[in-house]
Parts: sequence; structure tokens; C-alpha cells
Amino acid sequence: MARDTKAAFAYIGPAMFVLLIVAALPLGVALATSTTNWHLHRAAQREFIGLANYIRLFEDPRFIYSLQVTLLYTAVSVGVSMIGGFVLALMMRRTFPGRNLVRALLTIPLIMTPVVSATMYRVFFYDADRGLFNWILGTLGLPTPVWVASWPMAFYAICIIQIWFMTPFVFLVCDAAMESLPREPFDAAKIDGAGYLQRIIRLVIPMMRDTLIFALIFRITIDYRMFDTIYVTTRGGPARYTEVMSVWVYNRALRSFDVGYANAGSVVMALVVALICLGLMLYNYRRREAVS
Amino acid sequence: MSEQVRSVQRTRFIAPRVERSLITAGHALLVVATLVAALFPLFWVLLGSFKLPADVMRLPPVIVFEPTIANYLTVIRDRFVFFFENSVVISGGSVLLTIIVGVPAAYGLSRLRIRFKKTLMLLILSVRFAPYIIFALPLFLIMSELGLIGHRPSLVIVYTIINLPVVIWLMRAFFDDIPTELDEAAAIDGASRFRTFMSILVPCARPGIATVTILSFIFAWNEYLFALILSGRDSQTLTVGLTRFLGGMEDAIRWGQLSAWSVSIVAPIVILALLVNRHLRRGFTGGLG
Repeated sequence: MARDTKAAFAYIGPAMFVLLIVAALPLGVALATSTTNWHLHRAAQREFIGLANYIRLFEDPRFIYSLQVTLLYTAVSVGVSMIGGFVLALMMRRTFPGRNLVRALLTIPLIMTPVVSATMYRVFFYDADRGLFNWILGTLGLPTPVWVASWPMAFYAICIIQIWFMTPFVFLVCDAAMESLPREPFDAAKIDGAGYLQRIIRLVIPMMRDTLIFALIFRITIDYRMFDTIYVTTRGGPARYTEVMSVWVYNRALRSFDVGYANAGSVVMALVVALICLGLMLYNYRRREAVS
Repeated sequence: MSEQVRSVQRTRFIAPRVERSLITAGHALLVVATLVAALFPLFWVLLGSFKLPADVMRLPPVIVFEPTIANYLTVIRDRFVFFFENSVVISGGSVLLTIIVGVPAAYGLSRLRIRFKKTLMLLILSVRFAPYIIFALPLFLIMSELGLIGHRPSLVIVYTIINLPVVIWLMRAFFDDIPTELDEAAAIDGASRFRTFMSILVPCARPGIATVTILSFIFAWNEYLFALILSGRDSQTLTVGLTRFLGGMEDAIRWGQLSAWSVSIVAPIVILALLVNRHLRRGFTGGLG
């Protein structure tokens, strides 16, 4: 078969060149500097130290903690938003006047600037004395925590923002997928006496498996690398309790100036999420093989 | 729908008509509750932006108050225009660059016969999924070495990292949907590949191009990490401008100003997104949010 190599350079080349500069080159620099003791305050004594940074990482309880809290944060906010978005999509199957308007309005959290959303939550909702959350809790006679300044409330605070932000994404994806599901299997199942819940579990979820896995991978990668909302809400605090990986790398590099070490951290960070995603893709692939 | 009303299997305590209207009411209540949860923060900040300092911090919260535009006037005095201009130039420039290199690449990946097409697509996708800090920190190191921190053009180029993968994946899907018979007909008529691309495929894919343009603009507008690390004093965007408030945020006098800032940042994109919502939804779901 003839190949369009020359045309490929003309059409795909420029994009590849741009990606080479903004993605491949930085990745190379990250890998290279992760093997040095480069510290911005002692830039002159930059030496190759092999894998010493990586060994240091795994002996650093704060890094291990950061990895754990990132995974926990990802698990909680992905889990809740996946279920919430799916249920929301089911809810919107029912027709009612103004349905399309509601669907459009539900996309608003998703397109809102995350930094703005986080600021709003922090100032208007989480403020210990004048925030709405504590006002509501206080009115109901419940304890009023100092949200972003206490553990585990600070953790819940960042999860709530992320769930609010990302549930609409899962909703959109599920809504579109449900729209294109064929009707016949459901009618048949209904005639056979399958209940609503049974039809959802036995029919809707299996038929949407590819979509759900796609949404899951997408959601995981976004929460796992989240920086904006967490940095704005808690700055990784109180103490370093909500210092997720992105914030950890940022602080090591731009507060402690330990850039070699910080880069080693981001390499490990990328490897972990790559493994998670590959695992999910493989699982989906196997599953599909098993079905066919 | 009558799904919930399974008359055969269940003993009834209430008449079917009553039950149906109860379900309708319950559903309506759920929809309203969802809408409130989704929109309340935006509504609240919008309200707050028109409140006087005394009203904005009052508890129980006040809904009816004497509106003021004082907060917006402070925003304008607070160099909002400077940050706004940076955001427009950087987001706009980066979207333009992304479209110019991304659309031909998507065409190539849809139509050309080349080796490693799948690998290439996956590599592009992995850029979208990678933790951005792994690019942001080395870019900071490279750019400081070269003295590029704080220049708008460097942020314009860096921002392609967020959008180029999205544009290539979405546009490839759009091109794949256009029947290849069109290309073949053009080729028979003697049109060159470039001519076919420019005068047949691009016009056919116009809705797709509009979608990815708006989507990319929103992503660039909302970006914070790269802007925070790579912008100097002259290239700070709106998101960086807003977080300058963070230190003194406990100072309640500034809540109103903060609200006005927030509203001014999100208003352009929220309005844009609602105007083109149908396209946007396809963009979010068709490829990669």
C-alpha cells in the first residue's frame, strides 16, 4: 500500500513539532533533572546522582503521605461524581417541560473557572465565622467546624468542590450515551418482568461499559493531577494534610527550590497514573474479549 | 413514564393516578434540587458582587438589599483591564495557534495512509492525561534559563499543550464522519490534496471547528497552573489576578470586590457556553472533556 509520508510531514508535522517543544522536551528535562541534585539556591553544584532522588522519595514520609492522600482524594471524588453523574443522567431520561434548558444549565459548573469556583467555596461557604455552611449547620444546632483549617474537614472541602465541578461531566457523557442506547432490549426486559433497578444493573451498565470506562479514566486523570482548586482552597494545609502530589511538586520546586527532587516526584506521579489507566484499559479490553 | 408503576406485581395502597402525580412531583423536586446545587454558588457570588460591604458579610444572609456597582468600579480600578487583556491575548493566541496546526493534523490522521497512526493518536492522548506539573516545572526551568518567563508569546505556545490533543482528537472524529466519497470526487475533478482539504473538508467541518475553538478558549481561559508558574509580572492572566486576593481574603471588606472579580472572570465564558451549548455538549462528550 502506498503511504503518504510526504503529506504526513506537511499536515501532521507542525502539530508534532509544537508537541515536541511543549511536551516531549519538558518530559525529557524532567527525567534528566530527576537524576541530579539540582537546587536553585546552589545551581552551580549540579551533579548527577543517579537514582538517589527516587530512593529519597520512598523514604520520605511526606511524599508517601502525599501519594496516599492524592489517591484517596481521587477515589472519593471520582467515585461520588461517577455515581452522581450516572444517576443524574437516569433522572433526565424522563421528559418534562424545560428539559433541554436544565441540561444546558447543568453544564455550568463544568465550564466555570476552577480557581473562581474554589475561591467562592472558600470565602462564601467554608469561612468558619461567616460562611454559609457553618451558618446552616449552626442554625440546625450541629457542630460548626473550621472547614479549610482542620483535618479531615479540609479534605472534605476539596472533595466537595471537585464533585460539584466534575459531576456534570459524568452526567454529560452518560446522558449522550443513554440517548443512543437502543430501546428494544429494555422493552423486552420490561415485558419479562425485570424491575427498574434490575434493568439498570443488568442492561444499562453493561451496554454503557465502554463509555463508563472512558469517563472513569478521564475522571481519574483529572482529579489525580488537580492543582487549582486545592491550592486555592487549602494551599495543601492545614499543616500539609491536603498536600496532593501536584501541590507537593509545586512546593518542593518553587518554595524549597529542590528542583531535582521535585522532578523525581513528578516522574513517579506520572508513572502511577499511567499504571492505573493502563490497568483499566486492559481490564476493559479483556472484558470485551470475554464477551465476544 | 410508567416504569415505576408496575400494577401487576404490587398491592396498591394508593390510586394509580395519585401515585403517578406523586412520582412526577418527586422527580420535579429532585430536578429543582439538582439545579439549585449546581447553580447556587454562581447565583450567590453574583448577588454578593452587588452588595455593600455591610450586606455581603451579614448573617443570616440577605437576599433583598440595596444594590451597588461600587464593587465593579473597584475591579476596574484594580487593573482588571490589564489581566483581562492578558487573558484575551494569551487564550486567543493559543487557540488560534492550536487550530492552525491542529486541524491539518486531524485531517492527516483521518485521511492519510501512514504508519503508527494508532500509536501517534495514543501518544497525543497521553499528553492530555498526563499530570501537567511534569511539563510545567521543566518548562519553568527551561524558560528561566532562556529568559522567556513573563512573555506573552511563551504562554501562548505553552497553552497549546492543553488544547492541541483535544483539538486533534475531536477534529479527527469530525473528519472521520465526512464521507471519503467527497475527497474522491474532488480528486477526480483534478483538485489537489490541499485544495480538497481547504475547499471541501474544512467547510464541511465548520461546526466542528467552531466547537473546538470555543472549547479550547474556555480551557485556556480557565487555566491556572501554567499561568501561575510561567507568567511574570507582564503576562499574568485573570486567574492569577484573582488569587492575589487570597492572602487578605479573611478581610471581609473585600468580599464584595472578590465577588465582582469572580463574576467578571466567568461571565464571558458562561455566556459563550450557554449560547453554543449544543455544540459544546458534543465537544465534551464526543472526544475528551
